[in-house]
Amino acid sequence: MQMAEVKQIEGKNVEMNSQPKSSAIKNEEKEIVVKVKRFSPDKGEWWQEYKLKVDRFTQMTEVLRRIKTEQDPSLSYRAACHMAVCGSCGMKINGAPRLACKTLALELTKEYGSDEITLEPMDLYPRVKDLVVDLEDFYQRMYKVKPRLYPSEEVLEGKAEHRLVPEDQRELWKFAQCIWCGLCVSSCPSVRNDPEFLGPAAHAKGYRFLADPRDTITEERMNILVDSSWRCTYCYQCFNVCPRDIEPVTTIKKTRAWSGKMKDKTKVIETGEKHVNAIADTIRKSGKLLEAEVYLRTYGLAQAMSDMLFMLKSGRMKYALIKEVPVKGLNDIEKVMNGGEQ
Amino acid sequence: MKVAYYPGCATHGLSKDVDIATKKVAEVLGLELVEVEDWNCCGGGFLDEKDEDAHVALNLRNLSNVEKMGLDKMVTPCSVCLGSHRLATYKYNENKDLRKRVDKRISGTTIKYENKATAEHLVWVLVRDVGLENIKKHVKKNLNGLKVGAYYGCQMLRPEQIMGFELSFKPHSLQDLISVTGATPVMFPMATACCGFPLMGSNPKGGLKLAFNVLNSAKSSGADIMIHPCSLCHLQLDTLQDKVKSEFNVGWTLPAIYITQLLGLSFGLSPEELGLGNYAKEILKQKGVIQ
Repeated sequence: MQMAEVKQIEGKNVEMNSQPKSSAIKNEEKEIVVKVKRFSPDKGEWWQEYKLKVDRFTQMTEVLRRIKTEQDPSLSYRAACHMAVCGSCGMKINGAPRLACKTLALELTKEYGSDEITLEPMDLYPRVKDLVVDLEDFYQRMYKVKPRLYPSEEVLEGKAEHRLVPEDQRELWKFAQCIWCGLCVSSCPSVRNDPEFLGPAAHAKGYRFLADPRDTITEERMNILVDSSWRCTYCYQCFNVCPRDIEPVTTIKKTRAWSGKMKDKTKVIETGEKHVNAIADTIRKSGKLLEAEVYLRTYGLAQAMSDMLFMLKSGRMKYALIKEVPVKGLNDIEKVMNGGEQ
Repeated sequence: MKVAYYPGCATHGLSKDVDIATKKVAEVLGLELVEVEDWNCCGGGFLDEKDEDAHVALNLRNLSNVEKMGLDKMVTPCSVCLGSHRLATYKYNENKDLRKRVDKRISGTTIKYENKATAEHLVWVLVRDVGLENIKKHVKKNLNGLKVGAYYGCQMLRPEQIMGFELSFKPHSLQDLISVTGATPVMFPMATACCGFPLMGSNPKGGLKLAFNVLNSAKSSGADIMIHPCSLCHLQLDTLQDKVKSEFNVGWTLPAIYITQLLGLSFGLSPEELGLGNYAKEILKQKGVIQ
């Protein structure tokens, strides 16, 4: 029997490479069926099945490597770092956009209650072969937001240095972790429906520089980002699929807050601002969102009148007349909404 | 079973029928819904873009009121209210800078959140706590023959790390509830896509396109009617049927009703008791479900 190596860490004896306590965990193995949606420009699309044994350490990139080296050299996929850093192995695993390296095969079978795992290329991007897609559209979105810091002349000439306070760094850190895997854009509904929308990853990257106090092209960044930010539909899919927990939608919300500083506002910015200001004002006034008032202030009287027709047709007009009681504890609401001051 | 009930502004406003049907169905099931005392708006999914700290503080106020009532589960029929409260507590617990600012803002108010109360979706409580078998016992009228699209929308599922009730890419709670009524659940490609409601405040044309995508997908998959779990999806997908029809030049309607309205029909409650809208009544009459 192999002896466990003992090392001293911080003055304590710690067993290294010790055998797992339970042999049941160690020996857990399972044969799985991997169904891959394959594609080649000359043969078109087809599904192919592979069987192999996996254990609790088998990443999906390892599954693919074994299939390619042991069963089918014609299968194409991308993978490089195997540790969620390079962003190469984005694909749909059991229908969900994920990084193959960050997905363990055995865990997946438990999560989905099935020993069959499906692999498909990411949606949206043109397929090159099998699981490999062309990410050019994604890269172009990223380049549009000028994804680098534009420092001041003094700094470039070595006459000054950049300072970043810890609070600002903490604000930006999360949003700077993008690995350009493309998963969020592939699953974003607004990207599909609105060519003016930059997409979640570009917004996270853009905001990370927009809010960086060391950057100097703020106005240009606002012109690139603010209109697009109002074209997001808040479906939370980007937050859901991001393997680096970046929360692109949060940066979109934060970018909208810059609208007040815009000189030339587009229609979507103007409408969006009216809408959110009306919501905040009615909450400040009554503690509740007063739908009729928000509607009127966002769209104007003429539009509100014509939309009343839809209310009548659906039988919902009677609800428009309900007068909701304001919150009794309006003191709390006022304090909270006014930044804590009374 | 007794839980705190947070209706939210839309459920007490233009989506009042969600409130009406939910209370009726809960009564039949013996689920006691106690309205959160003096609740306030959750921010409607928008306030955080203007003032993140105010958004968190307002949501903590509701949860703090739930704790004062001696309860720890706050159930809401609205996915946006759900997302809003769960995101607020997630941020409050995870982001130390934000927590400091929020604590400062709520000092001197009645808000005292002790991290005990959590927001849950009504569907979760129905499926997990009340139980499908229990619900089945109350079915008096089998809805056999009715094909019902199961529309999940966004925030009951996503972000999965914060909602966590079911797999966001393979949910089945709504199909399970439809099956209980005897109706046939219909899954369709856009079942977890956005209805477009949040876009209506800035880019209404884009929002309407998303609504069309969802309705069209359910219709193409053979649904007669659709159920959903959200008071704002309700406004978008039901009220705007005719707007979608004229904008996209289609000749059909696909009414969207709230999940408790479907359950209520199978419990033998009348369309009036459930506050069913005009579009739904018309289709349900055609299908022989109601008179």
